[in-house]
Amino acid sequence: MVETVHATFQVYRFTPGVDSSPRYVSYEFDLPPHTPVLSALLKIRQEIDPTLAMRYSCRSSICGSCAMVINSKSRLACQTQIGPELARHGRIVIDPMRNQPVARDLIVDQKPFWHDYERIDPHLIADPAHPMPEGQPNPMTPEQVDRFYETPRCIACGACYSACPAKEADPEFPGPMALAKLYRFVVDPRDGATRERLLKIQPGGLWTCLRCHLCTAACPKDVRPSERIRDLKELAIAAQGVTEAGSRHAVAFKENIYERGLLNEGKLARQTLGLAGTAAQLPQAMRILRKKPELLKSPPKIEGLAEVRKIYEMLEDEERSG
Amino acid sequence: MRRHDVVVVGAGLAGQRAALAAAQAGRDVAIVSKLHPLRSHSGAAQGGINAAVGAEDSVDTHIYDTVKGSDYLGDQDAIEFFCREAGSIVVEMEHFGTIFSRGADGSLARRAFGGAGFPRTIYAADRTGLALLQAIYEHLGTETITVYEEWDLVQLIVRDGRAQGIVAFDRKHGTFEEIAARAIVIATGPAGRVYSRTTNAHSCTGDGLAIAYRAGAWLKDMEFVQFHPTALLESGILITEGARGEGGILKNVNGDRFMTKYAPHVMDLASRDVVSRAITTEIAEGRGFPGEYVHLELMHLGKEKIESRLQEICDFSRNFAGVDPVNEPIPVRPGQHYMMGGISTNIRGETSIAGLYSAGEAACVSIHGANRLGGNSLLETLVFGKQAGIAAAEYALTAALPSITADDLSAAERPVRAMQAKKDGVEPLALRSEIQSVMDRWVGIYRNPADLGKAWDALADLRRRSSELRIIDQTSSYSVNLGEALETQHILDLAEVIVAGAIARTESRGAHARVDFPKRDDANWMKHTIAAFRPEGPQLSYAPVAYTRWDPKERVY
Ligand SMILES: Cc1cc2nc3c(=O)[nH]c(=O)nc-3n(C[C@H](O)[C@H](O)[C@H](O)COP(=O)(O)OP(=O)(O)OC[C@H]3O[C@@H](n4cnc5c(N)ncnc54)[C@H](O)[C@@H]3O)c2cc1C
Ligand code: FES
Repeated sequence: MVETVHATFQVYRFTPGVDSSPRYVSYEFDLPPHTPVLSALLKIRQEIDPTLAMRYSCRSSICGSCAMVINSKSRLACQTQIGPELARHGRIVIDPMRNQPVARDLIVDQKPFWHDYERIDPHLIADPAHPMPEGQPNPMTPEQVDRFYETPRCIACGACYSACPAKEADPEFPGPMALAKLYRFVVDPRDGATRERLLKIQPGGLWTCLRCHLCTAACPKDVRPSERIRDLKELAIAAQGVTEAGSRHAVAFKENIYERGLLNEGKLARQTLGLAGTAAQLPQAMRILRKKPELLKSPPKIEGLAEVRKIYEMLEDEERSG
Repeated sequence: MRRHDVVVVGAGLAGQRAALAAAQAGRDVAIVSKLHPLRSHSGAAQGGINAAVGAEDSVDTHIYDTVKGSDYLGDQDAIEFFCREAGSIVVEMEHFGTIFSRGADGSLARRAFGGAGFPRTIYAADRTGLALLQAIYEHLGTETITVYEEWDLVQLIVRDGRAQGIVAFDRKHGTFEEIAARAIVIATGPAGRVYSRTTNAHSCTGDGLAIAYRAGAWLKDMEFVQFHPTALLESGILITEGARGEGGILKNVNGDRFMTKYAPHVMDLASRDVVSRAITTEIAEGRGFPGEYVHLELMHLGKEKIESRLQEICDFSRNFAGVDPVNEPIPVRPGQHYMMGGISTNIRGETSIAGLYSAGEAACVSIHGANRLGGNSLLETLVFGKQAGIAAAEYALTAALPSITADDLSAAERPVRAMQAKKDGVEPLALRSEIQSVMDRWVGIYRNPADLGKAWDALADLRRRSSELRIIDQTSSYSVNLGEALETQHILDLAEVIVAGAIARTESRGAHARVDFPKRDDANWMKHTIAAFRPEGPQLSYAPVAYTRWDPKERVY
């Protein structure tokens, strides 16, 4: 006999235009601990309430239909087993994905997500200088294939988009999925628009990323969007030089630490925003300074500065040797 | 009213390739799909796509392997065309951006697949379907095409001997809508959910087949259903041959390695049908585990090999069966995998109705005959998707304006609204489960007249009860319940056609194994089954198989 556990589900229910506000409905079952959350939801639909609205299809983590928020984490229902969730949280609370409006119950309107995807021109752009070989595949080495990392595994489920605080704060930010997709085209040896892509994405595109890595934690396919965004930042600096506020900030940050081993916030702002830009931030700066006057002083050089610099040298060596 | 030159229903590989071809021909094209295109089941294909591109391989051997694999029921002219197109269609997909795996010299990497004379299966790691689906979707984005996303085809409008348009259900708004079309392509994909034990997604309910059948199109060879020997217990998720290729072995409840008995030389690596039948026999004779399954053991391969070479299988077993293949056997049993049959077409995708085309797993050209070879169906979606798109575009160029009326819409909507108005009745999911268990139990790998008769009677009973189908969900937006009611009706239609064909065909060929007629019977049965809809049940007739160069031989591997 398979052992079972007692499982309590609290499922978000809401039909905009019909219900005045969302509510949670509880369902309880005894189920084997390896039961996927999706199977439990289907059991609810089949045995208790067929009006529960949700998307699902493949039940094997490949179609990207069933992303939702399970105990506060954005993930696939078909890939999440109830046992570990119950062990950690005692119950399973299910909400629709975030950063996208709720259409009904666990179904969100994915228009914003697809719109952001479209913004990165998600298709190969031919390189007039290198036409595709007639009747033959383009040669591509296994090493070139490796450069895509896991980005081709993306199933466009939207879990990363749902988990992204930068997306929440700044609607202009395209979100992790679109940027991972952009990376996939930027490193494609068949694509002729690498530079244009990088220039186009820079304003408001790349540098809003907070490097919180929540997208990478949420991704069910190990695409690691935040790491690819980091790669894009480096490629963008290489393509355009340090002209964007975001890229200037990154470089200034690096120089600051090299100099003293600590951040010099004032200098960082000047380097990032320029003198005029820094002046625009003065009122806010004054407020901060009233609370933390010590910020006005240049930070002292830290004790282990020699070691910090050694890290830089090692990283540069590593970069040179590829 | 909405009107387009070409309406493609279904947005998997076949539908998108058809839409691309029609758009490139200059037509105004629309896609109607119940799923977002990238969520189509084509994305689940792992293994690869066949094309004889290697220096040591030849198109002729690909043709021969396919003819033989089909157990001589495939149309040889169609197979020749199909294999000749393979190289260019794969190169085209590479140019669209597919990220294929590569050999050290930069060429397309190839792997060996069952039933093939050479390693000719081109792949993209363990996600070939996803790689192709992404590339075609990206490329299609450069054309101007209207996409009706999350719209379910509900009815085809056929009048004056030609297709005139469709009625669809818009899931988001909960409304029925009509679209007039000069030409229509049905590419709605698999019908695996006629069974519950299937490797197919929940959405694979054969909608397009059933709807075209009701509209008067012929279905071909529906009794040929391919089972995969190793589907994961409960979920039915596919555990690829790779597991046995790496040295995995099958064991019954007594711990015996039973394949030594059925295929003493190749054992666990025997062809799909042989292994499926062996497992079924073990279970039927009481040597399966309680709950009807056998064990697939990998433990002896060691943790390192299992985790590096069989990563996908590890993930599936851990996530979906709660079993760690490093320490425990994987519970498996055969599951429905592929429908060789479908809407009857020729190589241009033309059906028995003017203006109606079909391609992909929904169609039957026939190139798979009685048994499909791995790697040939992804190829089929692209080769014949393209042909159907071209032919539909040509037809649309000269076809008269389609005529549809308000009555067409209400005729499609009325019965559904009536199901919604019922105060009590049968739940769609409950009826669906019953249909599926009839098929699982009596219309599986081995077929005998007694079981097929039981299935026929049970389906007749379920047919009566289907008039009591009831949709509880009254909300207009995203009534999943309503979609399930429609799908349940489609499954019932198709189950009847499968059983009727299986009862009539008194021979064993490819995937159709009749216990009472264990041999292939070329004198009487070298012919395609054709099913036409009649209110009282499917009407069967037969059509000849096309030969060119290959005389039927016994199929031994
Ligand atoms: C697990 C698995 C592994 C496989 N591996 C391989 C492999 O390695 N190699 C190989 O060659 N083959 C493989 N196959 C088979 C192959 O993947 C399929 O035959 C093929 O992808 C089907 O493509 P399609 O375009 O016909 O259908 P699908 O990709 O399933 O697309 C069907 C489309 O129709 C739409 N649709 C369905 N019903 C409706 C409706 N009522 N209204 C509107 N739209 C509708 C859906 O939304 C979807 O967009 C595999 C199959 C499975 C299940
Ligand atoms: S159902 Fe397809 S990803 Fe979960």
